[in-house]
Amino acid sequence: MTRRLLRWVDERLGASHFSRKAIDKIFPDHWSFMVGEIAMYCLVILIVTGVYLTFFFVPASEEVVYHGPYKALEGTRMSAAYASTLDISFEVRSGLVMRQMHHWSALIFMAALVVHMCRVFFTGAFRRPREINWVVGVTLFILSMMNGFFGYSLVDDLLSGTGVRVGYSIALSIPIAGEWLAFLFFGGEFPNTEFITRFYVLHVLLLPALIVGLLGAHLAILWRQKHTQFKGPGRTEDNIEGSRLWPSYAAKSVGLFFIVTAVVAALGGLAQINPVWLYGPYDPTQASAATAGSQPDWYVGWLDGALRIMPGWEIRAWGHTIANPFFPGALLPGVTFGVLYAWPFLERRFTKDREAHNLLDRPRDAPVRTALGMATLSFYTILFIAGGNDVLASLFKVAPEAITNLFRILIFVAPAVTFFVTRSACRSLARDKVHPFGGSVGSRVRRTPSGGYEEIDEHDPAPEVGAIRADLVTEAYRPPPQS
Amino acid sequence: MGGRPGSHADGRALDRNQRLMPDERGMPAEGRIGVLLIISTVAALGLALVYIGGGQPQAEGALLGISLGGIGVALILWARGLSTEGTVTAERGPLGGDPDDEEVVEERIEEVTDEPGRRSVLKLFWAAGGALALSAVFPIRSLGPAPGQSLLETAWRPGARLVDDNGRPVRVDTLPVGGTLTAFPQDAEHAADSQVVLVRVQEHLLQARPGRDNWTPQGNVAYSKICPHVGCPVGLYQADTHELLCPCHQSTFDVLDGARPRFGPATRSLPQLPLSVDREGFLVAQADFDEPVGPAFWNRG
Amino acid sequence: MKGRILVVVVLTAAALAVAVLTVGASAAPAQVRPPTTTTPAPDPADVAAGYELYQIACTTCHGARGEGVEDRGPSLVGVGAASADFYLSTGRMPLDRPRSQAERKKVAYSPVQIRQLVAFVASLGPGPPIPDVDPAAGNLAEGNRLYANNCAPCHSSAGAGGALGRAVYAPPLNRATPVQVAEAIRVGPGAMPVFGPEALDDDQVNSIVRYVEYLRHPDDQGGLGLGHLGPIPEGFVAWVVGLGAMLMAVRWIGTKD
Repeated sequence: MTRRLLRWVDERLGASHFSRKAIDKIFPDHWSFMVGEIAMYCLVILIVTGVYLTFFFVPASEEVVYHGPYKALEGTRMSAAYASTLDISFEVRSGLVMRQMHHWSALIFMAALVVHMCRVFFTGAFRRPREINWVVGVTLFILSMMNGFFGYSLVDDLLSGTGVRVGYSIALSIPIAGEWLAFLFFGGEFPNTEFITRFYVLHVLLLPALIVGLLGAHLAILWRQKHTQFKGPGRTEDNIEGSRLWPSYAAKSVGLFFIVTAVVAALGGLAQINPVWLYGPYDPTQASAATAGSQPDWYVGWLDGALRIMPGWEIRAWGHTIANPFFPGALLPGVTFGVLYAWPFLERRFTKDREAHNLLDRPRDAPVRTALGMATLSFYTILFIAGGNDVLASLFKVAPEAITNLFRILIFVAPAVTFFVTRSACRSLARDKVHPFGGSVGSRVRRTPSGGYEEIDEHDPAPEVGAIRADLVTEAYRPPPQS
Repeated sequence: MGGRPGSHADGRALDRNQRLMPDERGMPAEGRIGVLLIISTVAALGLALVYIGGGQPQAEGALLGISLGGIGVALILWARGLSTEGTVTAERGPLGGDPDDEEVVEERIEEVTDEPGRRSVLKLFWAAGGALALSAVFPIRSLGPAPGQSLLETAWRPGARLVDDNGRPVRVDTLPVGGTLTAFPQDAEHAADSQVVLVRVQEHLLQARPGRDNWTPQGNVAYSKICPHVGCPVGLYQADTHELLCPCHQSTFDVLDGARPRFGPATRSLPQLPLSVDREGFLVAQADFDEPVGPAFWNRG
Repeated sequence: MKGRILVVVVLTAAALAVAVLTVGASAAPAQVRPPTTTTPAPDPADVAAGYELYQIACTTCHGARGEGVEDRGPSLVGVGAASADFYLSTGRMPLDRPRSQAERKKVAYSPVQIRQLVAFVASLGPGPPIPDVDPAAGNLAEGNRLYANNCAPCHSSAGAGGALGRAVYAPPLNRATPVQVAEAIRVGPGAMPVFGPEALDDDQVNSIVRYVEYLRHPDDQGGLGLGHLGPIPEGFVAWVVGLGAMLMAVRWIGTKD
């Protein structure tokens, strides 16, 4: 039966040669190589749940009066977009689970992307010949972040509407072109009736198309170049070791998809996320205000933190202003993504290493790269935590001013300290193979012919003649090789 | 092609995770897979019943999670059993193509550009294409109105009464000392750039800026509610220290000193609305703000 | 013996000095409130008993007859029964130690004693009475709207509280009784602004109180509320629970070398 089907397809598409090669294709099995897959499956969940939501969501700013099951908003004026979100949550059966799965999946998607990007960075997988894939990957990261922002802003609730206002003001602050950029992108002065529909087009049509297309390219390049692998016995720059695509790798991958979806489904039903009915509709024309404890979704938190700890400085000259939000809100991300894009080429220039690499570094093998990466992570982590400065202030009952000033200092101190600590830890790990924080867990000993025990020196492990090697004794029995 | 059953390509033993063996409790792997799939099926049926019965988010999420998870774990366990050969190794093969192919492609491309006559025509093609691309950008202009004056003025006019969010005009004595409310221009309540925060303080505490002595009848002082940082409504009034706090990024403004920024990323004071009292005792604006409200921009000056 | 007396005197003086310097820094100036005429006259027996209680614990900061002590405690003349009842029934007063903000804590007096102290304070001068609150008469949706416009900026949309400047914070509202909520609205304790009857009439206060009561057990159809603190705990759960579980799964599926 399978043969008949295969032949039917092959007669029309001539795919048998490709299929034969594909079936045997080898994929390395290290667990850290699957983090990108986690992200990909989160994207699949986003698309599936997203399509479902588009059947019910109304992307319009028209004002409607709510009459529905949620009594605390009975008779309240709100946009049709917000009202349709309430309907999805309270009136569409399984709507709330779909909506929550969609949002949880987005948060986890971004987290998986960050971990994946770090894995690629710290193992040097972006080096030749994979620079193109790195560039594609960074683009995917940026597009996904933007799509997440547009997505949660579609709901037009108080919390996300505040975020849209912030985005508008950042656009406005861009020198020379800012006013036009803001007016053209958002459709006029803030607020207006345009931007929900625009965000919808971006979030549902344009950005997903770009993301899926670039993901396709990302996977195709990976397929063509074959995956990298860690160093190990029997592995060289010219070979690849792992499991075959069929049946082993495919089954594991599909299994991972089910597990990822299971986790998202469990969260989607059991853990509430973005309870927009509690926040209320966004209505900037009324007195409704932003509230204490307003934060964006986590992956935008670093930008919000930068806005918070930036001191009140501005450039004013010759009748023009470069407004304060420009520096943390536009310049910082510009530099961030610029450096990210340029990294493989920067590293190549500084290390003068133009070789192709299919074997990965362990982070300790590249102390400066690892230290720079950790320092950068600490920089963005400080910014990210600073985004919650008011929540931290009320948690610890201290003044937000104190917390903010603390972060203003840490933002310089933490990366510097992290750099030096990491670099020296890498060097000591690479040299001594002993963890710099813990020392050795134990030591290996051997029995001397006279019956005592002595420690094996790692650097000089040659045993005495006739001595029994302790490590031989502990290994499990293996059947002798069959010839 | 390396590798033999049950071990890595170089003869190292497969670790436990990669071999499909009955575990110490004695249940064969197929048994475990079977149990998982039965649980998964039951959960899926349960999910269908919950949906038919009206739906309940927690039950839906939990049952869906169990059903999917059961299949997923079963697949992984099954995958291990399928793999009879452990890990395998193969040669990568070169990435670069045949240099002959490259040469032919290069020649064919340059055929077009080599002859002198063709080259100048090509340049004209580029120029025409560039001009077309440039003019094709222009429809973007239709996306929004020109900024014009809209950022420089609000809906406040001389004599406009202040109304609260219920539409009621605000009297000079509506607020007790220490009170606050948000106000809008009458007949323009939906102008989102015009909202002001009205605060009443003890008159002798106010330090009026030059020229603003008559802007605060009986201790009522009104400032634009739109934060000059990124535009959040400055809605938190700390009555004991007379400070307005913006919740977004903690900019703090001193109400007694013309809303000067005391802390935070805001660089400018909140614009102040000049107030007076009309004949019937209602608060009115003397004029629009004397500077643009809200976040700064290139042409703000 | 003389030495010991001297030590005691010096320590007491030092303690008082510390108290003066720290409490004084946080004492708020008295706020004048519009007099009301609807208060029934307090029972003279309560007033007298309240005065006795007042002498014991309150005069150090508030003066012998409630006139206030500079840099220590505000005047209580005209603050009204609402203010006294709010501070006493939430345990904010008496202050256990000098603080930047009076906080809800264990109530120090029995309900009878509170009634007596309130009667005494109310007798010092006309001020807002204990409000007559009827949450059931309020409208939930109207209360939602009013809460969002007036209260949520400081107390957050879910009533979880929030930070203000200078180590002061708006407290969470989940432990406030309906009367306490209404009292706070009318009194404006600490950093809170005052919302008089001209700004929010009694019906609107009833609605706000009704909504605040709702916020104690908001509709959490989506599952665990995660403290109603918004994206911060949500991000935490996404990383630790969501991605954490998935990373454990790939550790199980893949190899470690």
